[in-house]
Amino acid sequence: MSRAEDEDLAGQVREALKLVIDPELGQNVVDLGMIYNVSVTDRCVATISMTTTTRGCPATGFIRQAVEDRAWSVEGIEFVDVQLTYDPPWSPARIAPEIAGLLGR
Amino acid sequence: MPGASLSRWTLTYFACALVCLLVAESLMVMGFGYPGAAIDAPETLILVHLVAIGWLSLLMCGALFQFVPVLVARPLLGEALPPVALAAILLGLLALLAGFAGLSDLIAVPPEMLPLGGLLLVAGFGAVMLSLGRTLWAARPLALPARFVVVGLAALLGTVLLGETFALVLSGRLGGDMALSLLLNGVPLHALLGLGGWMTFTAMGVSYRLLAMFMLAPETERYSTRLVLAAGTLALVLVAAATPFAMSAGAGLAGLLLAAAATGLLAMGVYASDVVALYRQRKRRNIELNAVAAIGAFAALLASAMLLVALLATGQLQTRIGALTYVFAFGWLGGLGLAKLYKIIAFLTWLECFAPVLGKRQTPRVQDLVDEPRAAPWFGAYYAAVGFATLCLLVDLPTAFRLFVGMQLFATLAIARHFYRSRELLNVPPELRRGFARPHPFLPPARKVP
Repeated sequence: MSRAEDEDLAGQVREALKLVIDPELGQNVVDLGMIYNVSVTDRCVATISMTTTTRGCPATGFIRQAVEDRAWSVEGIEFVDVQLTYDPPWSPARIAPEIAGLLGR
Repeated sequence: MPGASLSRWTLTYFACALVCLLVAESLMVMGFGYPGAAIDAPETLILVHLVAIGWLSLLMCGALFQFVPVLVARPLLGEALPPVALAAILLGLLALLAGFAGLSDLIAVPPEMLPLGGLLLVAGFGAVMLSLGRTLWAARPLALPARFVVVGLAALLGTVLLGETFALVLSGRLGGDMALSLLLNGVPLHALLGLGGWMTFTAMGVSYRLLAMFMLAPETERYSTRLVLAAGTLALVLVAAATPFAMSAGAGLAGLLLAAAATGLLAMGVYASDVVALYRQRKRRNIELNAVAAIGAFAALLASAMLLVALLATGQLQTRIGALTYVFAFGWLGGLGLAKLYKIIAFLTWLECFAPVLGKRQTPRVQDLVDEPRAAPWFGAYYAAVGFATLCLLVDLPTAFRLFVGMQLFATLAIARHFYRSRELLNVPPELRRGFARPHPFLPPARKVP
């Protein structure tokens, strides 16, 4: 059961992260493909791997903090580890098809 | 954690820079300096330094304090230096301008005012170089855009040292044939290192990163960019190497400058092709006003290069240097500055006001802080005015020149008003800005934004 619960929680965390927008593109970080992975273990530990559109961007720290705060807000989550990675780098190809027109044609 | 934070004093630099631009444009509208006065008259020197130090250099320093950390993905070292540097540069500029005014008996000041101003400028720009230099040094090995900044800072050093030498000679503190010969022959070196090296080369380097960042173009290190770096650096080394020839009034001076012009033009040409490639490869098809308005600046750079070739070919460079400098300083450097300010001010304001509550409540996008449809025509008016003013200088129409500078001043004021509206959140829909305090127009936030 616990594995299913972990997966359910990971889904909830992912949903919670949709409140964090990228200030430049104005869409949430999940649909923009900036969240590489969300996993939950022991029904309370969330590990998130994420990136930003540009390395060294001054907004990076704020976006990372917002992701951590949102994950924390999910009931049952007691510990959050957000890992920032640029490998692989973000590319517009990661944008969800529903908002693919965001950048114009 | 990799990343840069908000540069606290950048907006203060920008505000001082804009005031200097507006004052310089107003002086020109009133007929102060060239073309009413000679190109080397003290009045013209006042104008030139108000634009080069007050407007362009303060703009560049403010931008670099924010963007060098972005370029190297490390925090700025020597965080206490930016306000000290700003105070020293402003005081130095005032003393320098007073010194020039003293040369033409506009006001009575002791002759030492010029070297004193120069000394303050050496100290101020020295503090800038120290802070940025340490940050860059700690981030080795450097990516290509950051290497442009290193070369630009070296050119800045050369510019201020030559400037202070001139000030010492003019005030009579430094004498001798060599010093006098340097003053008579070395002014082009001072101008080339400043406008071409410090400002243009640095702007080129930063633009590679900013254009890619804001238009989502691939940030690949191109072979062509290496060529721009190498050719541009060589051109600046040639200019610097001409210094001994200027001191001895040697025959090699003109040859070295011609070689520098050729390599500099090569660098500009390859840079132009890089910029076209960045615009073509952008992933963000609907580009923002800052990127559209920057096209005017690139066009002005191209126009400057073509004008330089035409003037060299017809032997009119000496007589028409004012027009060339005008389109280069106000079209290329000033236009690029105004275009990028339109984005940077909104972005820094967003970071200051909204970033701390990201994810906790609904926040506007950076684009919600600006009103592009209303701002866009003013950029068009600005570039048109610069173009016509340059033409007036080329065909000797001083009254029409003042008229077009008036138009340029009006457009600058309108653009500055848009900066203010974006800074004071006046374009943000009321429901999105409810509960947020409006930031001070140009002073740093009271509490430190991480």
